Amino acid sequence: MSEIYDIGYRHYDGPRLGRGHTTRALTVHSLRGVFGLGRPARSKLVPFSLAAIMVLPAIVSIAIMALMRREGMSYSGFAVIMQAVLAIFLASQAPTVVAPDLRFRVLPLYLSRPVTITEYVGAKVVAMTVALYALIAVPLTLMFAGELLVDLPGPPRTKEYLGAMLTGLLLAVLLAAFGLAIASLTPRRGLGVASVIALYLLASASVPIMYSTLLSAGDEDAARWAWLINPFWLVDAVQVWVFGTTPNSEGGYPDGPVSFVIVVLLIAAAVAALALRYRKAASR
Amino acid sequence: MNSVVAGITYRALLGRRRIVLLLLLPVALLGLALLLRLMGSDDQRSAMLLMQNFAIGTMLPLLGLIAGTGVIAPEIDDGTIIHLMSKPISRPVIAQTKFLVAASLLAVFAAVPTYVAAWLLVGNEDAIAPGFAVGALVAGIAYAAVFLLLGVVTRHAVTIGVVYALVWEGLVGGFVPGARKFSVQQWAQSIADQISTSPFLKADVTLGFAVPALVIVTVLAVLWAGQRLRVLSLTGDE
Repeated sequence: MSEIYDIGYRHYDGPRLGRGHTTRALTVHSLRGVFGLGRPARSKLVPFSLAAIMVLPAIVSIAIMALMRREGMSYSGFAVIMQAVLAIFLASQAPTVVAPDLRFRVLPLYLSRPVTITEYVGAKVVAMTVALYALIAVPLTLMFAGELLVDLPGPPRTKEYLGAMLTGLLLAVLLAAFGLAIASLTPRRGLGVASVIALYLLASASVPIMYSTLLSAGDEDAARWAWLINPFWLVDAVQVWVFGTTPNSEGGYPDGPVSFVIVVLLIAAAVAALALRYRKAASR
Repeated sequence: MNSVVAGITYRALLGRRRIVLLLLLPVALLGLALLLRLMGSDDQRSAMLLMQNFAIGTMLPLLGLIAGTGVIAPEIDDGTIIHLMSKPISRPVIAQTKFLVAASLLAVFAAVPTYVAAWLLVGNEDAIAPGFAVGALVAGIAYAAVFLLLGVVTRHAVTIGVVYALVWEGLVGGFVPGARKFSVQQWAQSIADQISTSPFLKADVTLGFAVPALVIVTVLAVLWAGQRLRVLSLTGDE
């Protein structure tokens, strides 16, 4: 008899929800973590105040449309104008998604369940993407709803709105993948915040210097390439190429699909870096 | 000043990944300076652009943030600060030592590259290079003190520091002239303006305001950090 010590523990006989459910639960958990839900009020302060700042221009824009009867902020330029807020959000919240699990070495615990590294990384990237996309899409949708309600003379800018929503998604994927890849290099939250924001500032501060230098050297074509260093203008270049919007930079961007190719390559590189990083982290 | 505490802090900052970040920013500055020189635009105007936008506007606050919070925040996060605080060393002395370490790192990683980058572009013309180097040095000391205090006061020191450096000094300072008076970067530029004779450099804040402000901010921040360390309580992270 093998049941000498059966002391009557009950086995789990509820429904087995399967792997899809595990991944979904992990995604929702990470997403709640990004906004500090289920954590103390201190953790909610930064994400929600940044989200509030993102909505402010939409409200101002609706007020302009309603009171002054003229077009408010352009949809295509929203992400570029608000880039500092988005960058701070990414920098401050990306480490909260990845750092605690690395720091307390709980990855082997996750992986002892039927969760693979791919699913784990995928859940984290999706959670961060959804959070960033919410920050871009909610104000855009508010503005569009406002435009429809105010009913300005002339047709609504539906195409520009949809274009901005689509490129916003591309931007969110790029930022999330890249931000998480950098933040996952260190188990410390503070250092993660500093490295993400340092890379963004390096990119954004060198653009005007490179642009004006190349322009004063008389090389206008090369100067346009300088904008592509900053991820926000890079995605704006994709928007210009696909939807034919007016560029939000002086002098425009290089023509053709090159910006889109760069975005895809960058996303692929960031996801690959994440996968490699977690393969190593899981083995400890 | 306690040499053992200083040694531990140096090792913690320079021995880990933090040094990659500390090196990345000055290397980028020197790379940009070299690039500008190779492009043939090594005139005073582009030197000003590089110094104001990149060296003082981006690199200095970021390095201040990394060094200033890095000397103390990880120890508080880990709880290992308790080993340091249970020793018979006065806590204000611990704070002062850590401040000196951060300030010395900023001198090496921020002020020296600033001088070299400016010198690469314009040589010693109109004392631009020494002006910005001294400005970066003094502002670096102030940043070290302020961010050390932030690191002692809050767990979200880096985020708050980024918001201050980017939003207050960058965005608000750009639109609201009054906000520029209370910005470490502008104080650095006043000092650079005082030393340099270049016609391209115009500071918004007078030296009579900038110098006392820098001294008061630095001294108060270090003293306050010491006081906060005396009553520090370790609480769990989230």
